[in-house]
Amino acid sequence: MEDLKLKYVYIDRQHACVDGVMLEHESQGGAMLSELYRAHIGDWPKFFKMDTLSKVGFLASDLLLKAIGREKPGEEYTSDCAVVLFGTTASLCADRNYQETIQDADNYYPSPALFVYTLPNIVTGEIAIRNRFRGETSFYVVEKADAAQMAFHLACAFDDDVTAGVLAGWVDSRHNDDFQAFFTMVTRDDAKYTDRLAAAIQTIMDNSNI
Amino acid sequence: MGKDRSVLITGCGIVCAIGLDKVQVLDSLLSGRSGIGPVRYLKTGHTEFPVGEVSMSDADMESALGIASGTVTTRTSLMGMMAVREALSQARLSREDLNGAAFVDGTTVGGMDKSEQYYLDFSAGNSRDAYIKAHDCGSCSEMIADRFGRFKYITSISTACSSAANAMQLAADMIRLGEADIVVAGGSECLTKFHLNGFNSLMILDRNQCRPFDAGRAGLNLGEGAAFLVLESRESAARRGVKPVALLSGYGNACDAFHQTASSPDGEGAYLAMTKALADAGLQPSDIDYINAHGTGTPNNDVSESHAMMRLFKESLPPVSSTKSLTGHTTSASGSIEAVICILALQNGFTPINYAFENPMEDGIVPNMKLRPDRPLRHVLCNAFGFGGNDSSMVLSYAGED
Amino acid sequence: MEEMILKLKQEIIEVLNLEDVKPEDIDNDAPLFGEGLGLDSIDALELIVLMEKNYGIKLQDPAKGKEIFKSVNVMADYIQKNRTK
Repeated sequence: MEDLKLKYVYIDRQHACVDGVMLEHESQGGAMLSELYRAHIGDWPKFFKMDTLSKVGFLASDLLLKAIGREKPGEEYTSDCAVVLFGTTASLCADRNYQETIQDADNYYPSPALFVYTLPNIVTGEIAIRNRFRGETSFYVVEKADAAQMAFHLACAFDDDVTAGVLAGWVDSRHNDDFQAFFTMVTRDDAKYTDRLAAAIQTIMDNSNI
Repeated sequence: MGKDRSVLITGCGIVCAIGLDKVQVLDSLLSGRSGIGPVRYLKTGHTEFPVGEVSMSDADMESALGIASGTVTTRTSLMGMMAVREALSQARLSREDLNGAAFVDGTTVGGMDKSEQYYLDFSAGNSRDAYIKAHDCGSCSEMIADRFGRFKYITSISTACSSAANAMQLAADMIRLGEADIVVAGGSECLTKFHLNGFNSLMILDRNQCRPFDAGRAGLNLGEGAAFLVLESRESAARRGVKPVALLSGYGNACDAFHQTASSPDGEGAYLAMTKALADAGLQPSDIDYINAHGTGTPNNDVSESHAMMRLFKESLPPVSSTKSLTGHTTSASGSIEAVICILALQNGFTPINYAFENPMEDGIVPNMKLRPDRPLRHVLCNAFGFGGNDSSMVLSYAGED
Repeated sequence: MEEMILKLKQEIIEVLNLEDVKPEDIDNDAPLFGEGLGLDSIDALELIVLMEKNYGIKLQDPAKGKEIFKSVNVMADYIQKNRTK
């Protein structure tokens, strides 16, 4: 990754790493996400209402954007930054949480707040809402990390005249305490490296144990 | 104007509450017949909500498709197979022709219907693995695709109610980039308790026939169905000697960036998606002869979409209708179902009416109630917006006489 | 009533995941929606579920929530008058 000069963020249930530097934290799993949010972000209380997939994606994207020099999300809406995410679990974790609210006929209170997260593209929406991105937002649910496939979709994101950068990443959440994310930002200048970037994501995910 | 980037559509198939194929759907559109009624097939306690069901049981569809009973299928995959079969037949594609082709399927519910039937057995340890394995969206897509050939690439897109529209956009991207000559793309979605309950928890289901763009609208009616289209490069169609039924001449996708489920009051995402689609097609707003709106019938969507359309089209707003008033909201499949409805409109020179409309809403568009348009249809716009603020719009164009 | 209001505030904080909000931060007469707590339409729906689940009050028209969720005081008053459990 070093020679690509792309900044990145990696998060799993025990670790959070920005550009090779581990972030300090005391808790693990879901509690770690809240701890990191309080320590590094803190100005977006909606965070606590999100499902785990969105929390991880939100945290990873915000830490990344900070690392590449953004102090605060812009006031202006932009269409030049696409969000293209990949993952295997999609909204499975939110699906389970919502299903529990309709499982028992004697205790039957479908939760709207849980239902709205039973879609994988809500995480891309949350990132877009935070950053006022109005460009492409995609979440590709895949069986496993496949470099060629990811490279293709990342390249497609630049097949227009407006996309200057792609917030690209991998995000999974199997349970509220079991998740993983890898986020990076690819600019149009870096677009020729999408093959290598995708290969790097594949390597990281192949070596993970989610 | 740059070079022609339009992608050919050489076949399409549809199954929904107003018909089991294109002929039936066309007939319903021309006679303004709604397919919305009391629930028949979905096993739910919520019988107070009318729905737009496909009027066949799973067993009926299995038998129509020649599938042996006992085979693992889902309602989503069965409806998908019906639509793909019709699309391939119109495009004159054989099994062998599909070897180099791609299959892009928009669905979000996937095989959840069978999971609902068998999940308790499964979690109690009684093996219904085959059905649980069919739960995910990818399995449904593969079930549909594998029935028709050995596609070189199969994928599913789940962006809620813009899924099938995005499937078509990915398919068109693949053809434009030379990744494939033929892509079968669309979407399929059956009704389930999971999302009926979910939409009910959001309190956006109308207890009566839905009334998009009406002052008294009180929500949507859920529907189900499938539609698939064969997207093809000019070279491939010329080589095979097939003529297009319509052109996908432009498309756009934008994020509303407002709320997980609600649309922004000014419809910025919708506005951007339509603007992008027009620019991609190299057209002006005045070139559009009809808009098939997303028009769910919820108070929120119809205001937001109205604002976006009025802002973009100003004085040149063409006839607009929401055919969800006839089919119900077929969620993930709505983009391709309404694309096929647009193609039927282009081919047969009519503008589908907005069923059940009575009173104009405040500060909104007045939908089309006239079947015969004032001018021939050349280009039409088809909108599909999904939760997550995922907004898509497509320009479909007349491909000429046969 | 005091006790009921405190309990209601705790329930609101819990179902709406208002992690960094304490009961005393919520003014009894301040609007629940709009500025302040930063609640949105989904939160309103969750409050409707809360009323059904904890107090047996069924609302069919989400627009009615607007009246009831004017403030914690108004909400508590409505619950007192209409609760079935």
